Amino acid sequence: MFDKILIANRGEIALRVLRACKELGIQTVAVHSTADASAMHVKLADESVCIGPPAAKDSYLNIPAIVAACEITGADAVHPGYGFLSENARFADVLTAHNIKFIGPSAEHIRTMGDKIEAKRTAKALGMPVVPGSDGGVDDEQEAIKVAKDIGFPVIIKAAAGGGGRGMKVARSEKELAHAVASARQEALAAFGDAAVYIEKYLEKPRHIEIQVLGDGQGNAVHLGERDCSLQRRHQKVWEEAGSPAINAQERDKIGKVVANAMAKMKYEGAGTIEFLYENGEFYFIEMNTRLQVEHPVTEAITGIDLVNEQIRVASGSALGFTQSDITFTGHAIEVRVNAEHPATFRPSPGKITNFHTPGGLGVRVDSAAYSGYSIPPYYDSLMGKLIVYGRNRNECLMRLRRALDEFVVEGIETTLPLYRALVRNPDIQNGLYDIHWLEKYLKANEMPES
Amino acid sequence: MAETPEMAKKVNTEQKFDTQLIEQLAALFKTTDLTEIEVQNGEIKIRVARTPAAQTVHMVQGGGYAPAPAASAPAAAAPAPSGEAPTKPKTSDKALISPMVGTAYRSSAPDKPPFVEVGTQVKQGQVVLVIEAMKTFNEIPAPRAGTITAIFVDSGQPVEYGEPLLVIE
Repeated sequence: MFDKILIANRGEIALRVLRACKELGIQTVAVHSTADASAMHVKLADESVCIGPPAAKDSYLNIPAIVAACEITGADAVHPGYGFLSENARFADVLTAHNIKFIGPSAEHIRTMGDKIEAKRTAKALGMPVVPGSDGGVDDEQEAIKVAKDIGFPVIIKAAAGGGGRGMKVARSEKELAHAVASARQEALAAFGDAAVYIEKYLEKPRHIEIQVLGDGQGNAVHLGERDCSLQRRHQKVWEEAGSPAINAQERDKIGKVVANAMAKMKYEGAGTIEFLYENGEFYFIEMNTRLQVEHPVTEAITGIDLVNEQIRVASGSALGFTQSDITFTGHAIEVRVNAEHPATFRPSPGKITNFHTPGGLGVRVDSAAYSGYSIPPYYDSLMGKLIVYGRNRNECLMRLRRALDEFVVEGIETTLPLYRALVRNPDIQNGLYDIHWLEKYLKANEMPES
Repeated sequence: MAETPEMAKKVNTEQKFDTQLIEQLAALFKTTDLTEIEVQNGEIKIRVARTPAAQTVHMVQGGGYAPAPAASAPAAAAPAPSGEAPTKPKTSDKALISPMVGTAYRSSAPDKPPFVEVGTQVKQGQVVLVIEAMKTFNEIPAPRAGTITAIFVDSGQPVEYGEPLLVIE
């Protein structure tokens, strides 16, 4: 086991990792920018090192400074948290070269999964379901019709060189296809100088469902069920559930097994998440995150497994302490991300928290690095904390979430708490009837009360 | 980068030292008015020094600089815990603050004289310290001409970003 872990992150996740280290009896080193000198993770760590000025590129993304901090403190492992350097293959390589263990997968796995095309190819090769489509470009209408008939309408035509929504056309029938292909090619040529287009199945109302995996790098891997993260704003998750209100135990077992087998085959090490779009009973691979995720606590709540503890154990060379049959899913959990933002405009609201009171009671967990008198610096993301609520079933969980949200007091800054107080009372949310577009539509239709 | 063979030399031997001895030395401070004690036992030299507000412990290997490998680092003074009264000015216009994290050295090699001492007149750009990070030695130049009036770091001492290193007046 490691003697001393350096936590290369800040905010609530630095605190989360610190807690796991303390429970394992491992010494902790906090690193921080000058803006975070009074941060909670700095106060609670055994040692701390200031690694740079406020700008993340000069501090939390500064690989030489973090390695130097390991050297002067004698840390033998680094936990990268999420964001920052957590999916940076070069960071993993540099640490390895300095005989410091990167708590996470191999640099090779980070690299493979970080490349969208390579990731999809790997996922397909490992037997995971991907969005069906033309394997290469389609040149003419005849070919397009053949492909579209194979995968079924609606389809989306995308520019091979594209991105950002340009050169994308949806066709719902054979009749629409010819025009869609022609105009997508034209747009692609104008925007990217390349008329090549390809066809994929178009998902109209998918949910975002992801599977948590844990591997020991020795060929053992398990899945820890799914999280439903369909409630998103601008591709940012705001509310996450485990399990999904949309899938049943058979579906969970089936996709879980596929994913766990894939991870075992690639000898994946550590925690990882495979993200899927889910529609009409089918899963379609989007990407893999080779790190711990913000929403990991909902999985911990329904499995009783401490994911950070497992990450550290596996990184130190231990094999997984359990097999798939040891893992059971009990009850329901929901996490809401409390951001320091205006609940209607989502304008960031950094500044001093004058009063901070967190909810408590059975089944309530708050992961936050905030405290009364703490000033949220303007340099980093706006996540102020996470409220995670557990219940024996989804209904109990929702009622407890409603209660906990009403107890939560944050004064001095604006937060997204009022949004969640409204969402928890919404019939669609209560019935679990939402897809990845639901929240955007809801926000457009509802003027949020000023907090 | 001024990297000399001596400085690049890595000390791989486990530094075994007597923590009890350090505790005894520290206890001596309580009963005497001493501010500094230095003892040498073979290759290991232990110097215990204090200022009225705080007490720091440094260990220097006799044979050469140890660029703080994992095994030897714990004995070096850790960045000041938050509870301890600061012995250095937090910021001062005249203080040279560390531009990086690393291990500070006051000379180019263990057998070389220090770049500067208290009282040294320096020119702008003159090297006053080196800071080692990731096995690279980075020269720290004087930001302006003046006289060194205080030096806060010893050779082999870990420094943080933004930590005052010395004062040029």
